[in-house]
Amino acid sequence: MPQEAGKQYKKMLENFLRSQGEEDLYLGQQFSRSFIDKNIAPEDVISIHKNSIEELIKELPSDVSVSFDFLIEMMIHYGLALKEHQSLIRKQEAIQMEMDLAVRMQNTLLQTATPEAKGLDIGWISKPAKQMNGDYVYFLNESTNEVCMAVADIIGKGMSAAMHMSMVKFGMDSLRYEKRDPSEVLSFINKMIEQSISDSMFISMFYGKYHADTATFRYSSAGHEPALYYSAAEKKFSLLESKGLLLGVKQDAVYEERAARLEENDFIAIMTDGVSETRTEEGFIEMDVIEDLLLDVKTENAQTMVDYLFTELSKMQNYQLRDDFTLVILKKTK
Amino acid sequence: MNHRSSIEINTEWDIVAARQLGRNEAKSTGFGTVDQARITTAISELARNIYLYAGKGKIEIEPVRVGQRAGLIITASDEGPGIADLQKVMEDGFTTSGGLGAGMPGVKRLMDDFRVETEVGTGTTITATKWLH
Amino acid sequence: MIKNRETDRGGVMNLQVEQVDKDLVHNFKIIGEIDIYTAPKLKEHLARLEQAEGMEVELDLSEVNYMDSTGLGVFVGFYKEITAHNGKLVIKGLNQRLYRLFEITGLSDIMQIEQVEGGEHDASI
Repeated sequence: MPQEAGKQYKKMLENFLRSQGEEDLYLGQQFSRSFIDKNIAPEDVISIHKNSIEELIKELPSDVSVSFDFLIEMMIHYGLALKEHQSLIRKQEAIQMEMDLAVRMQNTLLQTATPEAKGLDIGWISKPAKQMNGDYVYFLNESTNEVCMAVADIIGKGMSAAMHMSMVKFGMDSLRYEKRDPSEVLSFINKMIEQSISDSMFISMFYGKYHADTATFRYSSAGHEPALYYSAAEKKFSLLESKGLLLGVKQDAVYEERAARLEENDFIAIMTDGVSETRTEEGFIEMDVIEDLLLDVKTENAQTMVDYLFTELSKMQNYQLRDDFTLVILKKTK
Repeated sequence: MNHRSSIEINTEWDIVAARQLGRNEAKSTGFGTVDQARITTAISELARNIYLYAGKGKIEIEPVRVGQRAGLIITASDEGPGIADLQKVMEDGFTTSGGLGAGMPGVKRLMDDFRVETEVGTGTTITATKWLH
Repeated sequence: MIKNRETDRGGVMNLQVEQVDKDLVHNFKIIGEIDIYTAPKLKEHLARLEQAEGMEVELDLSEVNYMDSTGLGVFVGFYKEITAHNGKLVIKGLNQRLYRLFEITGLSDIMQIEQVEGGEHDASI
């Protein structure tokens, strides 16, 4: 039994019985921490109190003394609940560590380098709302003349989303040296995913390929948000839409492929619904909000534009992202 | 000195009898008030599990001495359905959420040694020991 | 029938499903928001429907004002199940925003989708 704590407790109780002052109560409160530090259970505290009071008050009625035995019985379950709580906290810490490790692994696994392409300035951001990112950006730099990029959004968030995302990455990696067109890449990934994804899961993906010598951007979409295209000459936005079903729904889905030609200072913004469906207190923002923000910074480089949109849109949500936020901007330079 | 006393658990009242027996044995072995309460609570939980999940079984209480150490061995046995997922039952947070009281992890904490033998369809035997410190 | 009307408009768990069967067609009317919180409830409700060969199911979403991708997932899962039994899924009463969601995702090409009357779909969003 914790005898040292018992002696100190008795002394403090004695002082308090004499003074009945706030100062002694304060000392008692400070002392109670040491009970927890020393792992002294609530039922032990009652027992310490019982022993102390019996020693301090010689003529303590036996009923009062025995009543503490009743109280000890009452406190056993509190003691167990406390121990269980402590053990669950340790367990949670262990899970948190595993989770952090998984996040780091995902980041390493899914990291992608910003590619270099002749006459194309590329900027991008992908920020998870929670720990694990359900959005994914993939670049493939075949040569300075050809750059491929994919922006994907997986339904749901967290761990399962991250695991499916790895599957997509390895699928795309396996096509690395095959020089496939966007529509072919999407139907390949679709077939692969459809076999191994659960029924209510799916992934949307926008896949584009830029050819520097012709300044052409060829793209296909698997149920993904259309990209925004800005023509500097016409000072006008249009949507880059392309028909195609979400990945993982139907084995034989086919994907349309389209192309856009970029002139100097034209830019393309590829995003996920975490950007286009920004939900503020007043409701959803409309596309023109995003267009106006892009116009604010249309003369800046691609990364500055991306960072500006992220800052402004997260400000509108009080800096609390509701959904993963991913934006890629491709800007034609000279 | 190794006398073993036993209580059959058939009704809820038998739980009280098992508690009483446990407390008396704990006291005569030399346990203090708090440990008496812990041993009794453990017996109570074990007896209650028999009553709730097996219907009937028995609680045995046996004082032991190993060298200088004195202690009390509690054995709870039944021929009930057995425990299919022992790991789950021994997990914190499993029983409390179901309102089953302190559950197995609680009994394990209250005692010093704890051992379960169980087979689905045959029954369960739990042996728990508390040593006098 | 699930009945839990909540007056709190901000309540995330606000979802109601009513079943009104006519002849051999199963009719569901879904009321509320379908998001990560309410989607499991909808899924559970639809799963209770015993799958019969060639069954036809109509889902009325005219009183659904918001749906996220988790909600869409429920319809995708349900679609897969129904088509596996050679059945037919009709989704009707979509407002402009939801119609657009089904269109972007390509689901409008594989499911029968009906937009709410008068809700002309605006190509420029």
